[in-house]
Amino acid sequence: MILSEYLPILLFLAVSTVIGAALLGLGALLGPRRGGAEKLSPYECGFEAFEDARMKFDVRYYLVAILFIIFDLEIAFLFPWALVFDDIGAPALAAMAVFLGILVIGFVYEWKKGALEWE
Amino acid sequence: MVEVVKGAIDAIFAGLPMVAVVVWTLVKIIAITVPLIVAVAFYTLAERKVIGWMQVRRGPVYIGPLALLQPFADTFKMLFKELILPTNASRFLYFLAPVLSLAPAFAAWAVVPFGEGMALADVNAGLLYLLAMTSMGVYGVILAGWASNSKYAFLGAMRSAAQVVSYEIALGFALVGVLAMSGTLNLGAIVDAQKGDAGLLEWFWLPLLPLFLIYFISGVAETNRAPFDVAEGESEIVAGFHVEYGGAAFAVFFLAEYANMILISFLTTIMFMGGWLSPFPASWGLLGEPGPWWLFGKAAFFMFCFLWFRATFPRYRYDQIMRLGWKVFIPITIVWILVAALIVHADLVQVGA
Amino acid sequence: MTTELALFYAFAAVTVGAALGVITVKNTVHAALLLVLTFFSCACLWLLLRAEFLAIVLVLVYVGAVMVLFLFVVMMLDIKTDSLREGFARYLPVAAVVAGIMLAQMLALIGWNAMLQVPAPESDGATLAGVGNTEWLGRALFTDYILPFEVAAVILTVAIVAAIALTLRRRPGVRHQDPSRQVLVRKEDRLRVVKVATEGKEAGK
Repeated sequence: MILSEYLPILLFLAVSTVIGAALLGLGALLGPRRGGAEKLSPYECGFEAFEDARMKFDVRYYLVAILFIIFDLEIAFLFPWALVFDDIGAPALAAMAVFLGILVIGFVYEWKKGALEWE
Repeated sequence: MVEVVKGAIDAIFAGLPMVAVVVWTLVKIIAITVPLIVAVAFYTLAERKVIGWMQVRRGPVYIGPLALLQPFADTFKMLFKELILPTNASRFLYFLAPVLSLAPAFAAWAVVPFGEGMALADVNAGLLYLLAMTSMGVYGVILAGWASNSKYAFLGAMRSAAQVVSYEIALGFALVGVLAMSGTLNLGAIVDAQKGDAGLLEWFWLPLLPLFLIYFISGVAETNRAPFDVAEGESEIVAGFHVEYGGAAFAVFFLAEYANMILISFLTTIMFMGGWLSPFPASWGLLGEPGPWWLFGKAAFFMFCFLWFRATFPRYRYDQIMRLGWKVFIPITIVWILVAALIVHADLVQVGA
Repeated sequence: MTTELALFYAFAAVTVGAALGVITVKNTVHAALLLVLTFFSCACLWLLLRAEFLAIVLVLVYVGAVMVLFLFVVMMLDIKTDSLREGFARYLPVAAVVAGIMLAQMLALIGWNAMLQVPAPESDGATLAGVGNTEWLGRALFTDYILPFEVAAVILTVAIVAAIALTLRRRPGVRHQDPSRQVLVRKEDRLRVVKVATEGKEAGK
């Protein structure tokens, strides 16, 4: 049954979260606590931090994230295909060739437009 | 030994079979995590020693015979250091970030088989689960960078996030190739599909050579290790996303990173190098026997490769990293998935024979 | 079976609680993280329904990819929370009406009877066919649903084109270096040795 197969995974996630939290707790317990404005200021090569570090970012990073979603979906489609194409045979191969062909058009467009360039 | 522990647990929780199952599973989880943590500790020592030898230095020598106690000294040092919470940082997210990077790095081990049928969770969709866990690792990095409210941390987090997601695509495509060859998502069955009379020539590295190389190199990039360590690049942005972290919080990030490196080494072995199968033909007697020792030996080699790369290659530039991921790896993997499918369709490779 | 039911209620409670948190907490980053938790516990619920593939893909695509983009946007745009919360009470009646209509539509679609019917535990398609969940889905997708599958490829391609058209800006006048050209520069390109007539003592002789 699927539940008994996934119970260890759920437990493992819980245990690893506990290990991480326990290490942090141990550090907080054992370590000293001697703060100070200079010590707790964010690192900026010795300068005073003169503005909020959370700044607007190059839109290119968003583009990478969007393209990642699209390719991730493509992988999600490829997984069941890779499992069954041998049983179904040529039609499945052709279907995936068309699927990848269409997406390669998008990829080539992306490439030619220079969306993959970092400058 | 195993039987004794299991018998004892069953006896204690005689009336509560469900509780007995949970306790037994917890024991098994501890039997995986404790050796993993110890392995990480000695991997750090090995790293310093190996890189030392490669640079004609001696590396650590003082603490204990062969510096074997060095990892423990480091651990205690980190635990006794102060936990810093920078001004302007978001307290909750700042301490959540290391936990969020450790949890998936450890939980991924739940489906890794160490030998024939020796996996904690022998699930059908093991490979898919691994990919999902890897994709969650990026949260720790993004949150650490943002919660610290420090410029270097923020820059490092952005660099790292974009790099990690780019290489994840190549990683996923490479796994599709393995899947097409083996026809199963179960990691144990993937190893079984690499069985054969010809020993190491039956493994998937041969028909999937480009995917094998791309998988391991993407794994190095995914873990932000040299030569792809621009996210940390100590000469440019000091330490990247974890610049503000010290003491135990830093130790948790460290643990996650090294656990991920060991995980990538094991997975490369399982997917492409025959897992626990012997490299020699079965007719060679004892040498041809499969067993967990082969898995550990092969994984140790890939772990050594991580250190070797670090000592050998200069750091890539960021635009080169992105170009390698998007313009080289992704096209090659797409083409090779179709090649692998045609190989299987034409029955050119005997799978699991 | 009781364990399964207990787990269902536990995950359902987390899902609902986290979803409520998404729309009520002040900090937008916290809201995004609660949305991650909502997706994650939804995946656990789907797992209880034996939809193994969809559950893990939900984590892979939504938690691993879509929410990363969300976090990027939320963190970088620096949305002012107060101005967003102003209209909360004003829009509440409209929102309630929309939610009510959506609920009615869903009930009409699924059917009240189907909700009351409890399916037999092992009656999902994959178990009946005796194959893994992913394999069963793959068979259905690549025999009966090939056309929708190809349409999905077209939609994804349109998404690529749209994303590039919306975000890719060539800002004129931005100076940037081309490091590979810098590295490849040779002495002859930069340095010119010029013969200059000598002056001074020698010239005066």
